[in-house]
Amino acid sequence: MNSRADTGQPQTVTGDTPIVEIRNVIKDFGGVRATDNLSLAITPGELHCMIGPNGAGKSTFFKLLMGTIRPSSGTIHFNGEDITRLAPFARARRGLGIKFQNMQVYQELTVFQNFFVPMRRHHKPAEMPELVDRILRRIHLTGLEDETVKNLSHGQQQWLSIGMSIALEPKVLLLDEPAAGMGPEETASTAEIIKALNAEGMTIIVIEHDMEFIRSLNSRTSVLHLGALFAQGSYEDIERNEDVHKIYLGKA
Amino acid sequence: MKRSGIFGILGLLNGPQTMGRGWVFWIGFVVFVVLAYLGPTHLGLKPYKINEFLISGFLAASLSILWGYCGILSLGQVAFFGIGGYVWGVIGINLWDSTGNTHLAFLGGILAPTAFAAIVGAAMFLARLKGVYIAILMLVLSLLLETFMLQTADPEVYSIGKAVLGGSNGLRPASDIPNAAFGWGESVVDFNGRRAEFYYFALTLLILTYLGLRMLLNSSFGYLLVAVREDPDRTETFGYDVRLIQLAVFCIAAAIAGLAGSLDTARINRVDPEVFGVSANIMVVIWVAVGGRKDLTAAILGAISLEWLFLWLTTSGNPEYATIVMGAILVGVMLIAPEGIFVFIGERLRVLFGKSGLFSVERKDSVI
Repeated sequence: MNSRADTGQPQTVTGDTPIVEIRNVIKDFGGVRATDNLSLAITPGELHCMIGPNGAGKSTFFKLLMGTIRPSSGTIHFNGEDITRLAPFARARRGLGIKFQNMQVYQELTVFQNFFVPMRRHHKPAEMPELVDRILRRIHLTGLEDETVKNLSHGQQQWLSIGMSIALEPKVLLLDEPAAGMGPEETASTAEIIKALNAEGMTIIVIEHDMEFIRSLNSRTSVLHLGALFAQGSYEDIERNEDVHKIYLGKA
Repeated sequence: MKRSGIFGILGLLNGPQTMGRGWVFWIGFVVFVVLAYLGPTHLGLKPYKINEFLISGFLAASLSILWGYCGILSLGQVAFFGIGGYVWGVIGINLWDSTGNTHLAFLGGILAPTAFAAIVGAAMFLARLKGVYIAILMLVLSLLLETFMLQTADPEVYSIGKAVLGGSNGLRPASDIPNAAFGWGESVVDFNGRRAEFYYFALTLLILTYLGLRMLLNSSFGYLLVAVREDPDRTETFGYDVRLIQLAVFCIAAAIAGLAGSLDTARINRVDPEVFGVSANIMVVIWVAVGGRKDLTAAILGAISLEWLFLWLTTSGNPEYATIVMGAILVGVMLIAPEGIFVFIGERLRVLFGKSGLFSVERKDSVI
């Protein structure tokens, strides 16, 4: 814990071993197979996008990674350790940060107070103002620490939610639709924030619907379809892939 | 956020989790407390009537931190009240002759329900039980305790030392259930539950509990409680074991309910299985909901004023209509102020005084 005590920077892990590795994961809900024999490896420092039509199993994938649901079979490794059976809080402590699809900020509290909960485990209250300030600069909310969150715009609240997740200084950050409901300008800013975080060395996995947004991130992209990995490659590869276009239009 | 000197003390009591954080509130608080202490001597309050209200204040505080702050509704909060009351009585009866005080009775009356809560809570929260299941499970538990206590009439089987559980008649010998008494030998102070001395004693304890809980709620633990209420899954992704937070607040709430039960047995020198009943359980939920569950002050005021109102309705005018009038008031309040009447009033006062910009400790909106 002390090793990543006083910087707002994520720890950079280098090397070829994947930081996140999913092996043959299957998840059944009743008779529905939400995740179908999925295997995926994310290398340290990577920015990875996941796309797929509704019901492709994107959010289920994040829930499996975070541990809010357990796989029916298969394993999940994080940083070389098998975390398949670990509770979500234990995974968070090992360095997995997540922003789920819904907002998940505390509406009645100020921006500054929103950082109490994510920061309390690692930092003394006296250190907080400076750390919060540093994070706010990265998520384009400088100077808004005393604003009540419900007075922020939708986009600003999304950024705050991302900010709360990076306050944990995670090794891997999972973002589920970070640009949902945003206008074009805010979407562009969000892409900027994500790329800046990634440039600092944070491994980031992004789930997104908006192809414009994925294009601006321009990174390795996986396509999920019916719970299975459908295609993988650079953004250009995916964009050129006829089959991907078909599943989005419901023809495959 | 800087804390020093007198602001330091106020700072620990103040925060976003409790309504009332500016000068206006604290001046009002002091005036209220002074009036409360003067009640029996100068305002004509009758201790034998109002002592009971103070105890409802503890119960309301207990459910408010559990339900209002952490989002865990329990329909069986009086289970801990009843356990506290019985344990207090059993220890009181047995140790009175040898000790002449009720120190251990109070200790047991608080620790026994806390231990019980730790066991029940561990089972519920580690199994990640949620919402309505916890509410109903707690009600069932409370009713099971009532059923069990009702069938303890046989003194051959159900007696602990000199104390006889006594089934529906309640703990016996009732004449041996002591008053709350503190001190040793000649200097024992005894608080008769129908007199003003008990009122001062319970009032002081209630104020201390209130201030202590305010500090707890405005500490980082309080933030965690609200975080768990607002979104347990999100809180867990910040690295917290939500189950332990839930268990902790469950035990603290049980301890306060146990203290209330202990005080109640000491007040009337009596405890019977009715303490575990449905109506007792529902009353606590109503006090807290009507007062304002998400604010400690509002919940306590809600309990005390509803008890007072009900007493007034039943003792003046047409008591036969008391329940109907009471019901109409409750429905009316919940329609007008679904977050609770005292939260509603508090927010109006905040707007009123906040605009003036006077007396504020930190910011304009922190006057009330």
